[in-house]
Amino acid sequence: MSKLDSQDVPGRRITVTVNGVERRAWCADRTLLAHFVREQLALPGTHVGCMNGDCGACTVIVDGAIVKSCLQLAAAADGAEITTVEGLGEPGNLHPVQEAFWAEDGFQCGFCLPGHLLVALKLAEQQGDPSEEEIRAALAGNLCRCTGYQSIVAAVQRAIRQTEGT
Amino acid sequence: MDLMRPRAAATESDPPRRRDGELILSGRGDYLDDVRIPGLTYAAFVRSPHPHARVRGFRTAAAEAHSGVLRVLTGREAAERIGPIPHFFSPTNVGGKTTDFECLASTEVYYVGQPVAAVVATDPGDAEAAAELVEVDYDVLPPVLDAHQALQSGAPQAFSHWDDNLVVRVAFNEGDVAEAFESAPHVLRDRVKIQRYGTSPLEPRGYIAQWNPDGRLVVRASTQMPHPLRSALAAMFDLPETAVRVIAPRLGGAFGHKFHGYPEEGALCLLSRLVRAPVKWLERREDAMLVGAREMEHDLAIAFDDEGVILGLRDSIVCDVGALGTSAGWGMAFVAAMTFPGPYRVPAYDVESLVVVTNKAPWNGARGFGKESACLALERAVDLVAAELSLDAAEVRRRNFIPSTAFPYWTASKRLDSGDYQAVLDKALALGDYPELVERRRQARAAGRLAGVGIAFELTPEGGDFPGGLARGFDTSTVRMDPAGSVTVLTGVTSPGTGNETAIGQLVAAELGVSFDRVRVVQGDTDTTPYGFGNGSSRSLNLGGGAAVLAAREVRAKLVAAAAVALECDPGCIALDKDTVFREGGAQMPISDLARFVYTTSIAHPAVPYQHLEATCSYAPEQNLLHQPDSAGRTSSYPTFSNSAHVCAVEVDEHTGQVTLASYAAVDDCGVIVNPILVRGQLLGAIAMGIGGALWEEARFDDRGHPVATSFKNYLVPRSVDLPAIRVGHHTTPSPFTLLGTKGAGEGGVAGAVAAVCNAVNDAIAPLGARVSKMPLSAPNVLRAIREVTK
Repeated sequence: MSKLDSQDVPGRRITVTVNGVERRAWCADRTLLAHFVREQLALPGTHVGCMNGDCGACTVIVDGAIVKSCLQLAAAADGAEITTVEGLGEPGNLHPVQEAFWAEDGFQCGFCLPGHLLVALKLAEQQGDPSEEEIRAALAGNLCRCTGYQSIVAAVQRAIRQTEGT
Repeated sequence: MDLMRPRAAATESDPPRRRDGELILSGRGDYLDDVRIPGLTYAAFVRSPHPHARVRGFRTAAAEAHSGVLRVLTGREAAERIGPIPHFFSPTNVGGKTTDFECLASTEVYYVGQPVAAVVATDPGDAEAAAELVEVDYDVLPPVLDAHQALQSGAPQAFSHWDDNLVVRVAFNEGDVAEAFESAPHVLRDRVKIQRYGTSPLEPRGYIAQWNPDGRLVVRASTQMPHPLRSALAAMFDLPETAVRVIAPRLGGAFGHKFHGYPEEGALCLLSRLVRAPVKWLERREDAMLVGAREMEHDLAIAFDDEGVILGLRDSIVCDVGALGTSAGWGMAFVAAMTFPGPYRVPAYDVESLVVVTNKAPWNGARGFGKESACLALERAVDLVAAELSLDAAEVRRRNFIPSTAFPYWTASKRLDSGDYQAVLDKALALGDYPELVERRRQARAAGRLAGVGIAFELTPEGGDFPGGLARGFDTSTVRMDPAGSVTVLTGVTSPGTGNETAIGQLVAAELGVSFDRVRVVQGDTDTTPYGFGNGSSRSLNLGGGAAVLAAREVRAKLVAAAAVALECDPGCIALDKDTVFREGGAQMPISDLARFVYTTSIAHPAVPYQHLEATCSYAPEQNLLHQPDSAGRTSSYPTFSNSAHVCAVEVDEHTGQVTLASYAAVDDCGVIVNPILVRGQLLGAIAMGIGGALWEEARFDDRGHPVATSFKNYLVPRSVDLPAIRVGHHTTPSPFTLLGTKGAGEGGVAGAVAAVCNAVNDAIAPLGARVSKMPLSAPNVLRAIREVTK
């Protein structure tokens, strides 16, 4: 059994609202939010690529802010509202942002995708009309090694168009 | 219609989107780290802190006493329980030498980061903490950290039991080079150094090894080559291959990083056997950054006439392959030399590659696979010719290209299949607005800024076939239609995340006349798929796709024969399309009814073929592979050659050395295109990777042999803000030697990008009289080059 779910190290029970559902779970004090989401909440869509805050594959939204979940302790998220990639849409009922990424071929291997999708979601929700430069700046914290970002930028632009006025 | 061409070939107006998009987009990708197995335990490795040392002994008591620890395994103990790691491709296959490489070093370590011991614990944190407690006694030995130094007599030995540090020298030559250089009106020399850097897929490697109660070893591995990994593990444990199953889940990128041959692979299987539980290990980013590639220095000379026509070429490439290891990496040194003289007609050339070991972590494959190094050197040379004669860089390339009428075209080591290099370059110049870039450069220079335009042409040998190892130029696919008319494709090629499963599904659907959604493509499980050589060398569509088309055609023939019985007509009157079987000018039936008819009626009805709707075919473009030298001494280990032209513009800050990429355009010829969305994505990604290598990425070591680049904070890969919008286009000349007319997509683009950016930066600083050919063109390196001439 992993210590992540044992209680023989210092820890606490925390309550978070994840993708609209209230979840109560135990976490060791040393547990990072990325591992809490993946293991304790069994939401493996949040990926771990560097454990250093550099790559952005572990991006989640915490109380409305883009957060790299490998840089935050789970205990610090007690009471927070968290959105992970699983909160967008599911097979057969994708969110328009997900549809936009599919339509524009905005991913290849998909490992960076949770981060790019959630940044796109934030941009789309802001209902602005960002320039390509501004979109690239918004994506600067999220690495992709497959696409060269071009199709990701196009996907974000499409996502913004598709969510206009919704 | 050419019957050999794939029915799905190309110009489909509405190609299908990526397979499994809904799963990947919704966080249900099922990557290695997402696999849930009960009773999982976790490994951590103890790694050498020295670049070179003798291992004297281990003290493990403190680690064993750490909470949660199940087992500590030292190199000493491992050596008694597991054989050496088989080579991906041994240097001995090309006349070189090697040594035994262990999963955990027992007597000598060759690089910082080499595993010497391992710990298994019930929690990954405990495993890491306990690994810190393993004490290893070393006698430090002098390391050799530079390949040039390593070649000098009296240099330290990277492996203390070798007599020197040279693994092998490979050479390719043609014509009378001495005579060409003697009689040439012009000769220029340059030294071009490409730095050590890897590929950094966003998902690092990972493995879960377990032994089933029946004695079978089951390994889940983020690997590009499940079958060859199975072969290697079976050899290490002296097991029949049937007792080993390797499953590759969805990969989060690979680019060569996930070729097999790593020490952790066997070590984890041994650990799992010892603790009698599944053992998991995930590569940390700093571990991933140990893996080297590409560190090569070219000592280059080019002879040419007054018109810029190349008369001769010499290159001696010194390749610092680190501590060799058992992965594919060192092969890049071979391929770099073999790629010469690229797209040019060069009557006399002599190119050698020296494979040199040093005390740095070994290489593994890296997208480009040495072809980027060759391209960089060649394209620098062509630009030097243009500058020397004050000719336009595009014009010099025109004067030297192998003409489109000359294919197939032999060089010493390859037979180029087809191409129209001039047309590809012209298209790229148009797409990149070359005249406009030249005008803007003029304006920028007039305003006192350093602006440059760079051109490069890349030739990319694809689908390599290397007898003597398990890196072959053929692959195998099975196509099966079930009684309900659904289709399963099982193929030996794997996808690292590029989407070849989408294109293979498209090919099979078109051959059988069924809808794309009816076809399922299965990859990456050695219990399920035919033995195959996985992913690499842009081989997936060329070989796995070719094999799938052949198998689909066999199934189609069975369907047509049965349909002729069911619809009472001549087989020639049957058409399969849109999930329906048509009789010319009359009756029709759903394909599912026909499949059911075959399964339920054969034997009972003597005219219905007594065969399952299943076929397995292998495919190799063997017409263009030649391993026994012909009468002229020529061989060819690659069957097809994609190519691309690149045009870019940069500005350089004279005071900081900072390079800004202002525009980029490229056109490729990857032969017939099956899915333009996927091919475009491959080209864009390859170019981005090439730009990253040209400008920023560098796996540096300090002068004590310790890696400096250990995270994305000091190993800089391109971010969205670092890259301009990239314009890409295609020009298609089908390969006459591949079944589908494809040449391979995926690898092409890296090399041209490295070279085009380098040429542009050199063009920008040329007015100062400066030149830079030490990569990457990071601000410090460019500034150093500027200061050398402006001080």
